[in-house]
Amino acid sequence: MTPVLELTGVSKTYLDGADEVHALREVDLTVEPGRMVAVMGPSGSGKSTLLTIAGALETPTTGGVRVAGQPLTAMSRDDRARLRRRAIGYVFQDFNLLPGLTAAENVALPLELDGQPAGKARAAGLRALAELGLTDRASRFPDQLSGGERQRVAIARAVVGDRRLLLADEPTGALDSASGEAVMRLILAACKSGVGAVVVTHDAQLASWADRVVFIRDGRLIDHTAPRPGPESLLPGPATR
Amino acid sequence: MSVTVHERPPVLGAGGHGGMPARRAVLRWAWRMFRREWRQQSIVLALLLLTVAATTLGLGIGANAPSDASVFGTANYVLTVSSAGPPTGGPATGAATGDRLGGTLDALRSSFGTTDVIRHGPKIPFPGSATGFDLRDQDPAGPYGRPMLRLDQGRWPQGPDEIAVTDRVAAALGLGVGGGWDLDGRRRAVTALVENPLDLHDEFALVAPGQIAAPDHADVLVRASADEVLGAGRPAGVSVQERFGDGNTASVLVLMFATVGLVFAGLMAAAGFTVLGRRRLRAIGMLGAIGASHRHVRLVLLADGLIVGSVGAAAGAAVGVAGWIAFSPRLEESLAHRVDRYQLPWTALVTAVVLATVTAVAAAWWPARAAARTPVVAALSARPAPPHPAHRFAALGAVLLIAGLTCLYLSEHTNKFLILGGILGTAAALMLLAPVAVAALGRVAARLPLAARLALRDLARYRSRSGAALAAIGLAIGIAAVVSLSAAVTVAKVTAPSGGNVPADQIIIWLDAERMNGTIPVLSADQLADRRARAGAIAGELHATSVLTLTGAASADTPLDHGGRPVVALGKPTAAPGRPGMTAYRDDESIPVYVATPELLAHYGIAATTADLLTPRASIDGYDLIRRRGAWQPTLQHVSLPDYTSAPNVLLSTEGMARLGLTAMPVGWLVQAPGALTQAQVDRAQQAAAAAGFAVESRPTGADQARLAAQLTAAGIAVALGVLAMTVGLIRSETARDLRTLAAAGARRRTRRGLTAATAGALALGGAIIGTACAYLALLAWFWREAHWLAHPPVFELIAILAGLPVVAYAGGWLLAGREPGMIARQPLD
Amino acid sequence: MSIRHAMLALLSEGPKYGLQLREEFEARTGEVWPLNVGQVYTTLQRLERDHLVESDDEADPGPQKSFRITAGGAEELAGWLHTPPDLASPPRDELIIKILVAVRLPGADVHEIIQTHRRHLVELMQQWTRLKDEEGDLDLGLALVVDAELYRLDSVVRWLDTADGRLKRAAAEPPAPAREAAPQIRRRAGARR
Repeated sequence: MTPVLELTGVSKTYLDGADEVHALREVDLTVEPGRMVAVMGPSGSGKSTLLTIAGALETPTTGGVRVAGQPLTAMSRDDRARLRRRAIGYVFQDFNLLPGLTAAENVALPLELDGQPAGKARAAGLRALAELGLTDRASRFPDQLSGGERQRVAIARAVVGDRRLLLADEPTGALDSASGEAVMRLILAACKSGVGAVVVTHDAQLASWADRVVFIRDGRLIDHTAPRPGPESLLPGPATR
Repeated sequence: MSVTVHERPPVLGAGGHGGMPARRAVLRWAWRMFRREWRQQSIVLALLLLTVAATTLGLGIGANAPSDASVFGTANYVLTVSSAGPPTGGPATGAATGDRLGGTLDALRSSFGTTDVIRHGPKIPFPGSATGFDLRDQDPAGPYGRPMLRLDQGRWPQGPDEIAVTDRVAAALGLGVGGGWDLDGRRRAVTALVENPLDLHDEFALVAPGQIAAPDHADVLVRASADEVLGAGRPAGVSVQERFGDGNTASVLVLMFATVGLVFAGLMAAAGFTVLGRRRLRAIGMLGAIGASHRHVRLVLLADGLIVGSVGAAAGAAVGVAGWIAFSPRLEESLAHRVDRYQLPWTALVTAVVLATVTAVAAAWWPARAAARTPVVAALSARPAPPHPAHRFAALGAVLLIAGLTCLYLSEHTNKFLILGGILGTAAALMLLAPVAVAALGRVAARLPLAARLALRDLARYRSRSGAALAAIGLAIGIAAVVSLSAAVTVAKVTAPSGGNVPADQIIIWLDAERMNGTIPVLSADQLADRRARAGAIAGELHATSVLTLTGAASADTPLDHGGRPVVALGKPTAAPGRPGMTAYRDDESIPVYVATPELLAHYGIAATTADLLTPRASIDGYDLIRRRGAWQPTLQHVSLPDYTSAPNVLLSTEGMARLGLTAMPVGWLVQAPGALTQAQVDRAQQAAAAAGFAVESRPTGADQARLAAQLTAAGIAVALGVLAMTVGLIRSETARDLRTLAAAGARRRTRRGLTAATAGALALGGAIIGTACAYLALLAWFWREAHWLAHPPVFELIAILAGLPVVAYAGGWLLAGREPGMIARQPLD
Repeated sequence: MSIRHAMLALLSEGPKYGLQLREEFEARTGEVWPLNVGQVYTTLQRLERDHLVESDDEADPGPQKSFRITAGGAEELAGWLHTPPDLASPPRDELIIKILVAVRLPGADVHEIIQTHRRHLVELMQQWTRLKDEEGDLDLGLALVVDAELYRLDSVVRWLDTADGRLKRAAAEPPAPAREAAPQIRRRAGARR
């Protein structure tokens, strides 16, 4: 099974004046389809850089990136843009939707940018919204939606079409816990339909939704959780006692 | 957990940039954003609207301004056929004359095909009018002359006993439609009130075609090429008037002014779009993150330019057209031209609208490019890409400045393309040098008090928009400075003790408005005495010490043209442009030749010999005696005469005149006043002369130019202040967040006021310095050979620009910033 | 949680049998706290002794005996609900002690130790979360318990994160000794008074 994301030996160095800042050092990460990986670390640990590199928004200084088997390093700027609109979906913390476009139009936008006729793209967008239970919000503008609804629309946009990789940067950061949980459930649902997801966060509760949690410190992946056991061991239950 | 897995790799090969659907999606977004946020672009919209509306009105006025069409109709040549040889004192009579004219007309008709003949009878004398009214016959449905006639009331005259008149003729002679009029012993019925809608001052009486038995002359309107008209085969005694400058000249002029207006609008738009691009940076980053290519991103802002441009231009055109339709009838009186309110130069109007739209798109180009180049990650976190280093602009600006100045220098005041290139180059250099000045402002900031320091740093930080603003201010000031500096040169020239047209204490009263370059009316003795009396009255008003009759010399065999004859002059031959092998003489380079009458000789104390010409000039080589046929080698007598271009400097002796077969005819009077004449005296003399049908030539006092310079300087400062008000608002609104931080940090109101005031003041000072410097450099290149004239700077105007404008801007900023807390609360939209 | 008060709470809904009380208790706590029959009847006897509940007849204690809450019992329950638990004195948390020991212990990589605990905690949280995920219509009581566990574990992870950062900063810039001495001197001066 082709991993949706493969980072091998990825390093990223910024120049801050004369100083070199190592945002990422020799990062290896593989995300299988249908899996959710959480990258957990404090601010400044390089987790957002990891996400932008995985999402073809930035190029690594060294190392290789493959998205759905396609190597990113050799791609032109336009090819990377095309990959973003066809295979990658983003959900950011608080600013996801273009003002001035309705929820349905926002969701349909990547498809339209990819050349699908407006009607077809809109139908696909409405379908994606319906799956997320947002049909009655389809014709609202972002400023008429609540924060949680906005994030859910953003997830619909991130999975619309033939998307393989969902990248989320603190997707529940600005939400209350109930809305945050709803958002995480949606991402998990997307994973169950075959999308691979990377969620970047500093919040353990958020990370605990993932199949695997990867810990990042100072640009290095230092640890990860074992494949999670079922919840059975938590419940002693009267039968066992 | 059930997982459906995409095993197929995503298709990436085809698709390009998403094609039309992608562009449509991006354009839709741009349109929605415009609808949401058009208020933030109201400055740019208003500027475009004003420019296009003003252009529309200008085009309307230009299209309806008096033009050659009032004489030519739709023809391009008027051939005037005179019926008379030498004047016999009265109207030529007899069948022979009519036959000769008829024969010439037939000849013309056969060689040109379609012609439109307007016969003019002898003038209808009327007391109080020096010339009398014209009597003409003209076909109201003539092929070329049709636009020159309009029926206001009644019906067109038919047959020999009917006549139509213009309103003023009717009023002057007490005529009315349905009444009768005894003219030349014949009673005619007045059937209509008519007019020449292209020239309401054209007063005449109209009879049916062919009903003037003894025409004085006939105008033949033809449409033909220059070769056909000027070539061989033209019957003798036919003079030619060529239509210069087609009807578009006014439109072109208006469009040129519109372009200047659009440059301002464009600069403001560039600043506005930069702010807009920055405001939308996160959204643009988001667009990039979901897969828009850099072309899509660029398209967003370009589309915004297109929308703003087309909306502003369309609204401007609508306002302009509506204004024109509502108000144009009131202009008929002042334009002396019937105005068809639906008759606008639509092509030129569409051109203006397209130009305005293109301006807005061009203004959006640079911000669009900057947004497309901003990395997505930087855009998402609203960090704009760092500006280009200013020195790149500086290098290009310096090159353009040098190129522009060189063009101006090389043009030698004549080569139009070099002049245009020079002006454009210098103006473009000004715009490119503005960001450098902004960067320099940031550098001096470190030593200033807090408010000024913050203001200058902000200007330097947001260079692309403050640069555009500075360029707009500099341009406004530059235009004002050029006008006031060149006016100063003009004033310096006319107030110089020597040279010029006439001395300051003399005026010339000309018989003809074209001085000695047109046809001078041939006067009978009575008429001449009448005119002399009128000129004497004008001279008396000025307490003249002497009134000297100026006499010209004309070929007696030249047929009368509209009752007059041209007089000879010395002309400098030049190759006629576009007419190989032909020679042209420019009126402004010709030297008048006066007849050395005894009166004149006595006035200047000259003892005449038998030489042909009397002049202080060493020779007249390089000059031809024009308006007379045949070669001539005159003998010269060196005499002492003052050196002025209009006053007597070259005299033709009576012997010489006789040798050339010329006859003397008075052309005007040289009036000697007791002292230098004031502008008020000159104005009075001019009014009196105009009433009597004369023209007055005087030494320019420079008062008009000085007034114009003051007005234009004030206008330039006003424009600069307007631009300032807009840009300062724009720039400070963008830094509202900083201002709030400042307020939170305990800054007092005076700091906030100081911030706005310093921004305005710095922009004003920078613009004033750049504009004035570029203006000075351009004029230095222009007046290279006579740079000493620039040594008389218009001190008042310069002080107003360099000190007044910054002070007013600072004060204005200080006063208006008091209202700012409301603005602080308003966050720029994300 | 006090079983005593849980019994009172269940009885405030209406009279119930002892067995019924046990089943309902387990159901409402998401079967996380199993309860044996002996505990239930001991508790009920004590409640009866304190006149907080009363049984309908003088029958022997047994499964068919029905209990109901008294006015005193209702008062006791209300008072208990509003009384904050004792959170003022910190519990002797084993994890805290381990980290404190590791900080002083030469040769121990405290960050690595912290990470080990963090990983373990997150794994535990993953399990709880999975419970939420897989039991789509979670029983309300269980949901509250899961939330409580997640927040408890989360707070420990947060403490570990904070400790991690604090230790890192402390290593980067060792505190100046003079500054640390100052409060001690003052304290001694206070003691002398």
